[in-house]
Amino acid sequence: MSGHIHNTDDRRELQMARSMCWHCQSEMAGEYFCDRCVKVQPVSKDLDYFTCFGLPRRLALDPQTLETKFYELSRAFHPDFYQNKSDAEQTISLGNSAMLNTAYRTLRDPIQRAEYLLDLEAGSVKDIRTTPPADLFEEILELQDTLDEFRASDRASESASTLRTKLHADRATLEQRQRDMEAQLLQLFSRWDALQDRGEATEQARAERGRILKEMRDILSNRTYVKNIVNDLVATIA
Amino acid sequence: MAYSEKVVDHFNNPRNMGSFKKEEDGVGTGIVGAPECGDVMKLQIKVENDTIVDAKFKTFGCGSAIASSSLATEWLKGKTVEEAGKIKNTDIVQELNLPPVKIHCSVLAEDAIKAALADYQKKADSK
Repeated sequence: MSGHIHNTDDRRELQMARSMCWHCQSEMAGEYFCDRCVKVQPVSKDLDYFTCFGLPRRLALDPQTLETKFYELSRAFHPDFYQNKSDAEQTISLGNSAMLNTAYRTLRDPIQRAEYLLDLEAGSVKDIRTTPPADLFEEILELQDTLDEFRASDRASESASTLRTKLHADRATLEQRQRDMEAQLLQLFSRWDALQDRGEATEQARAERGRILKEMRDILSNRTYVKNIVNDLVATIA
Repeated sequence: MAYSEKVVDHFNNPRNMGSFKKEEDGVGTGIVGAPECGDVMKLQIKVENDTIVDAKFKTFGCGSAIASSSLATEWLKGKTVEEAGKIKNTDIVQELNLPPVKIHCSVLAEDAIKAALADYQKKADSK
């Protein structure tokens, strides 16, 4: 994904490279096909997935619109239609199809979409890496200890049955927390989209952007930790 | 992708798995996590006269994360606090032959060492 993030100089260069048809060298006006020689053009590595589908950089996304656009482009780039074309065109068709599939898979899933947006916006996820959730870690380690205890116990014993009851309760609590986090994430999605729609370039808007991104980053990582422990729980007490 | 022999060995026979009491004298505890994969790692050192006399870990994550922390505890034992701070994730990558997608596991182990050392130092300073 980092391959899609460039500094401004790179971007300028790539756009210039892309503004010319690789085949007939004429000025490119079309998006993925040259207007003059009708040859397929490589999707620029600099193009983000949203732009690739002609979508604004928003987190609320209509799956239907995305799917329709995906099918349309899939047909346009599909290697089957390039079997009798030149090697260069076949290579472009393959490359574009691969990129398109990745782009579609990424944007289709709300979590991956948010992760991708964070990547785009922050340069890299590490830049907005959050302080580790110490309380959550403690909780997870404690739960893992209980799980170990349960695994080692004689399942027929009374202590095992007490542990099982506790673990079931823990699972319910954690699953509720997962739902809460998803809801919080959706709220952040709307906050982000609203901010983007307003398009303000003020100091406040910038600060708000940073806050939203950091909050999203936090929830996404906590979500991964909770998901793992829930999986372990389910696998053990099932 | 297959795990290297050394990773498998550490995974099957983890060294120094377990924990010390956090409050115990000379014990430093580092708890870190990798948000990308959700792995959680706890690494503890026990220090006497500036030397790490024992180390323990508990890791909940993939084989590479377990192997990285297991190896880290092996390396920590017998080192001075200063020497321990010089352990680099790249040393772990090299020793365990970790593929690029698992490098973050070694980073996690280095972070855990650093956190444990910092915790030890903080406890020592507050005395």
